Amino acid sequence: MNFLPLWRYQNQLIDGAIITLELTVISALAGLVIGIAGAVALKGRITPLRWLVRGYIELFRNTPSLIQIFIVFFVLPNFGLKLPAFEAAAVALSLYFGAYSVEIIRAGLDSIPRSQVEAGQCLGLSGWQVFRHIILPPALRNAYPAVTSQFVLLLLGTSLASQVATDELFHVAGFIESRTYRSFEVYAVICAVYFAMAMSFKALFAVIALAAFRWPRRR
Amino acid sequence: MALVEIRDVRKTFGKIEVLKGVSLDVEEGEIVTIIGRSGSGKSTLLRCINALESVDSGEIRVEGQKVHAKMPDLKKFRQRVGIVFQAFNLFPHLKVERNITLAPLLTGRVEKAKARVLAEDVLTRVGLADKIDAWPEQLSGGQQQRVAIARCLAMAPHLMLFDEVTSALDPELVGEVLKVMEAMAEQGMTMILVTHEMGFARNVADRIVFMHQGRVWEQGPPAKLFANPGTPELKSFIASAK
Repeated sequence: MNFLPLWRYQNQLIDGAIITLELTVISALAGLVIGIAGAVALKGRITPLRWLVRGYIELFRNTPSLIQIFIVFFVLPNFGLKLPAFEAAAVALSLYFGAYSVEIIRAGLDSIPRSQVEAGQCLGLSGWQVFRHIILPPALRNAYPAVTSQFVLLLLGTSLASQVATDELFHVAGFIESRTYRSFEVYAVICAVYFAMAMSFKALFAVIALAAFRWPRRR
Repeated sequence: MALVEIRDVRKTFGKIEVLKGVSLDVEEGEIVTIIGRSGSGKSTLLRCINALESVDSGEIRVEGQKVHAKMPDLKKFRQRVGIVFQAFNLFPHLKVERNITLAPLLTGRVEKAKARVLAEDVLTRVGLADKIDAWPEQLSGGQQQRVAIARCLAMAPHLMLFDEVTSALDPELVGEVLKVMEAMAEQGMTMILVTHEMGFARNVADRIVFMHQGRVWEQGPPAKLFANPGTPELKSFIASAK
């Protein structure tokens, strides 16, 4: 076992980790927007839109995300949408994360009792005001644990973007391995990096939860 | 013109007709208590008055304005009609102050600088000025219900509806809520209550309305109704409620 040959690739490793982080955060934010919008659509009254969202969820949750990335990168150019590797992976992973987020956030919205909505309506609030101020904050709290564990799965899943030659961490690992032939050492190192990133995010999410959800839980 | 005019209101849920032609007038400043067995349509009638439920036929007018779920100024209307629920329905993620000031701020009733004063004012009226910075979960049921009343008062309603507001409370907490409601009654608030508190109905109400099987079965001043019920149904209801 010899980790020394890896030392000269430290900059590539750092760059790869940064790209992994970018891919994760961008896909998560975009996916979260999709999740909230999709959950609202699922609870809405427009039937064709509900079918559309339902179809989207089933499609993306029941197919390999690797193939989803391939389709965005290799197939969409045939229809005139040509994206660079990073952007293609970000689009595919956003849609993947979004599909899971819709269900998670819908469950969060469903956990808010109807009586809360009525109380808001009876105070003369509009539908949007009731959603924004009365339903959404406690719904997000209820959805939060599931969203954050899905986020970690997304972080680990970004390694699939290496297959369309995005220069993220796993792709960098393959490159270093091909140069040094130190398979065990390379993969042990990036495993540790993924692990450290995942644990750091968990700690960060715990801190965010403390700051954002300060009201006491129902006894 | 009465403040609330209810004319031959009918309401069906599925196959069950809950309201079978209810007519009722409530004058300004009047305190009307609706009593009756569960399933007699009391709560449904109350929910129709502020358009939480829509009526199938007949009509309800409040301050001369016809009430229905699609009325153009429903939001403005609801600011004038307060309702307090059995389960309090405070917003768990907002402190007491914000529970009270959320709607006045969002609807432009009060400016930001004066919101806390408004909250202090209405909390003083329900005897909870010291709880302004508490979370709802930290309060007892009776305190939560008084905050819910204060939250309504902050909108300065012309009419208050109370839907079995003491039914979810431990017996020793009922009194503090009733006391607040009595004080409101003395100040001339128009109130319609659905309640099982016969003592309160007897002592505070101007008029008792006994509902039975979706109809107004009998109504009148409490002294008369409790002493001389005119129908066997009311008689047996009073006997069972004691």
